[in-house]
Amino acid sequence: MTKVKVDNKEFEFDPNKNLLINLKENGFNIPHLCYQEGLHPEARCRLCVVEIDKKLITSCSHYPKEGMEIKTKTKKVKRARKVNAELLMPEHMDKCFRENKHHDLCNIISDLGLKKVRFNPKKKYKVDLGAAVIRDDNLCINCGRCVQVCSDIQATYAIDFAGRAHHEHVTPYYEKDLPEMYCTKCGQCIAACPVGAISEREHLKEVLKVLKDKNKHVIVQTAPSIRASLGEEFGMPPGTLVTGKMVAALRKCGFDKVFDTNLGADMTIMEEASEFLERAKKGGPFPMITTCCPAWIKFMEHFHHELIKGKNMSSCKSPHEMLGNLIKNYYAPNNKIKKKDIIVVSIMPCTAKKFESTRPELASDVNYVLTNREAALLIKHFNIDFVNLPDENFDPALGISTGAGAVFGATGGVMEAALRTAYELGTGKQLTKIEFDQIRGMESIKEGSMIVNGIEIKFAVANGLSNAEKLLKIKDRYHFIEIMACPGGCINGGGQPLPYSKNKVQARMNAIYEEDARLPLRKSHENPVVQKIYKDCLGKPLSKKAHKCLHTHYYKRKL
Amino acid sequence: MQIKKQTKGKAYKKAKKLGSKEVIKLLKNKAVVGQGGANFPTGTKWEMVLNEKEPEKYIICNADEGEPGTFKDKFILTNNPDIVIEGLLIGAEVIKAKKAFIYLRGEYEYLLPKIKRSITKVKKQTKSKIPIEIVVGQGAYICGEETAIMESIANRRPQPLQKPPFPTQNGLYGKPTVLNNVGTLANVSLAIHYKDFDPELRLYSLSGNLTTPGIFELKLGIKLGDLIRLGNPEHPIKAVYFGCFGGCMPYNPDMKISPKDICGKDCILGSCTIIAVDEKHSIVDMATNIAKFYEFESCGKCTPCREGTMRILGLLENISMKDASMKDLDTLQELAEVIKETSFCGLGQTATSHLLTALKHFRKEFEERVKEKRNRRRVAR
Repeated sequence: MTKVKVDNKEFEFDPNKNLLINLKENGFNIPHLCYQEGLHPEARCRLCVVEIDKKLITSCSHYPKEGMEIKTKTKKVKRARKVNAELLMPEHMDKCFRENKHHDLCNIISDLGLKKVRFNPKKKYKVDLGAAVIRDDNLCINCGRCVQVCSDIQATYAIDFAGRAHHEHVTPYYEKDLPEMYCTKCGQCIAACPVGAISEREHLKEVLKVLKDKNKHVIVQTAPSIRASLGEEFGMPPGTLVTGKMVAALRKCGFDKVFDTNLGADMTIMEEASEFLERAKKGGPFPMITTCCPAWIKFMEHFHHELIKGKNMSSCKSPHEMLGNLIKNYYAPNNKIKKKDIIVVSIMPCTAKKFESTRPELASDVNYVLTNREAALLIKHFNIDFVNLPDENFDPALGISTGAGAVFGATGGVMEAALRTAYELGTGKQLTKIEFDQIRGMESIKEGSMIVNGIEIKFAVANGLSNAEKLLKIKDRYHFIEIMACPGGCINGGGQPLPYSKNKVQARMNAIYEEDARLPLRKSHENPVVQKIYKDCLGKPLSKKAHKCLHTHYYKRKL
Repeated sequence: MQIKKQTKGKAYKKAKKLGSKEVIKLLKNKAVVGQGGANFPTGTKWEMVLNEKEPEKYIICNADEGEPGTFKDKFILTNNPDIVIEGLLIGAEVIKAKKAFIYLRGEYEYLLPKIKRSITKVKKQTKSKIPIEIVVGQGAYICGEETAIMESIANRRPQPLQKPPFPTQNGLYGKPTVLNNVGTLANVSLAIHYKDFDPELRLYSLSGNLTTPGIFELKLGIKLGDLIRLGNPEHPIKAVYFGCFGGCMPYNPDMKISPKDICGKDCILGSCTIIAVDEKHSIVDMATNIAKFYEFESCGKCTPCREGTMRILGLLENISMKDASMKDLDTLQELAEVIKETSFCGLGQTATSHLLTALKHFRKEFEERVKEKRNRRRVAR
């Protein structure tokens, strides 16, 4: 620990953390925009300045030294922050004041007590509309967090800065639009943006429209990770499990049925585990790579299409598309509802799933995808007192799921669930310990091994696309690989409540594993609904009908 | 002129015979300092890189001379490129560099054949095998900044990086790197070869409202009046600018030109650039012109420089073109101070010193301009 003086009071700071974090941990309110936990401090915004030796320095890019005398409230500091915030505001102000939004910058402006900005707004930029992610340059303040996330964490490099001086702006190369780019739609830039310049494409209006339509049978399905994070939007602490309240609230919104995507996850596991066992029988091709994450799929189609040729990719659809298909091909005829009258809405922590639902080869069994934030808006729209709702259960027809489905929400979850089922289906024996601790947690790349029928199976898990890139370099060492595009898995997806913080993600992860431990059924193949679906409709895993309903194919995409 | 003297590969041979440590000692003894403006002792800089354990090192010759009113590097590269190349090779030899780079300003591309010929010639004279790569800049002023130049050579967006780590530890491709100005490298060859080398001699780039502007080789510490007289001004001189970033001060013929004397008066001597402004010209126009330069050349990385330079230009144009009030002068002052205090790199920190010094010494002119326009408006209505 290092002894420093802040505003003439003595403190002990951690020398491995920068001044900004140290000051914040000790209760100082330092405004900052361009710094985000886990990213290299670029020190672009110049709002986090503090005074040391009569000089202003940015606290995000400096570290505490013994005997440092830091001043955070001098006239000089206040003036610098005020002027810099004022300089940023015109870029952002115009639209934001009209819509009365509360972004980080707007909060900083009000904290600084600025009522009027002396400068006029700048010229207008066009709005970049995509199928999943929308960029509005008029709100952008060039903090560069999205650029850093896209390059350093996701290794996608879809956006970067262009132009110099005040013409500098964030853009895909050659001023192209995002839909033309190799953007994976992971939505991590949305989570990074402090001013809401990047957002998901909203489908709320369409959903509200179909909810009003009496002829439509509207079914909603919720992703495994939603239940661990939806509460945050209503002021509940991160990591609160709100499964029952969520179901109740969605029913109040007017959805005819509330199903659980965890069932889709169970189906995915049945198919994936069977596929893996078949490969093990045939002796390849290895490694088999999971395909639950649509952002990873798009990344693979652009940057690693050799995996399609090498047949490394599993052919399973993502869980919500599987459930969407089952709703239309199994639930609808069983309940004598016309296929065209059924509307499937998925609530996902993900923006890439919005893009996925527009893919032609999936024939769009899911009509609309809402993010977690949109779902919260929907519930708020109907003035539902979410926090005090009594718990309700999912609709039974397709609503029974297992703990294996629940852990899908965290990185390593798909692998864990698949291994539980693969072991038991492959050996016919009971698994003694069903928690795979070696692939739990937030580490970037995790690996482990398991012996099935005398053969050692090596598996690895990566989260974050830059880690996926690293893992793919050594992929031949493994038999089974899980990749999730977002760091931490779906619990930190691009559609989760803002703002991002590492502790929040950890809390959500704990909640997911808590849900798994709580459920009586924890292995996908034990799910009675899954067994029933196979008996009634699909036959057995990997049958011809299962292939038609639950599997897909991929394309090579241009860079 | 000292700078036009030839060394013909002899300095390199002598340096090789002496060895790295002796050359550094010699440079320290002869007081060879950086000519880019910081006056950092060259020997010390080389020693820092030499002492780094990393085996891969680089040396870069900074020929990205973008400062308005400065043209000494062009003068050296046109008249005597051989000593620069030789200095570069000596540097590469001393710090044991893997490769040497010359970062040439985009506008000086016409000098490329000359430099290439010179490289072949000097390499033949010295029999050095260190590869030299010439990188032609794309015309950004920021590439004169030491970290931005390295980003540019590494094919990245030229923007300054956080210091520390300094380039001497973590420079080009993350390896220890020496960056020297053209003039510095020329002086290295001269200092090693000539016993009567004078480190006090500087190349003054003299321009502005003068009839005979140009490069003059004179000692540090000469009187400003003597220098301006060489330029033969037509009208009496009112103010001198020390380049764009150095700031301005009222003309005082008895003032000595040396970093000590000038820095005390909130100006920076920099690379000995002097722009004279006579009584026929307005400081407001001068300030607007320089503000235009910075508004165009800011790299866009940090808020105060990116947005502030644009707002400053807007305010100055308001003062000369449309309506402005005395309040705008205060805004101008506040903005300029904040840009100076909080900008990321040297460019931003000096981008408004011209305005701050102008407001300090010539505030009257700004006030008059504001009043004059107001009166005119009143008449028109």
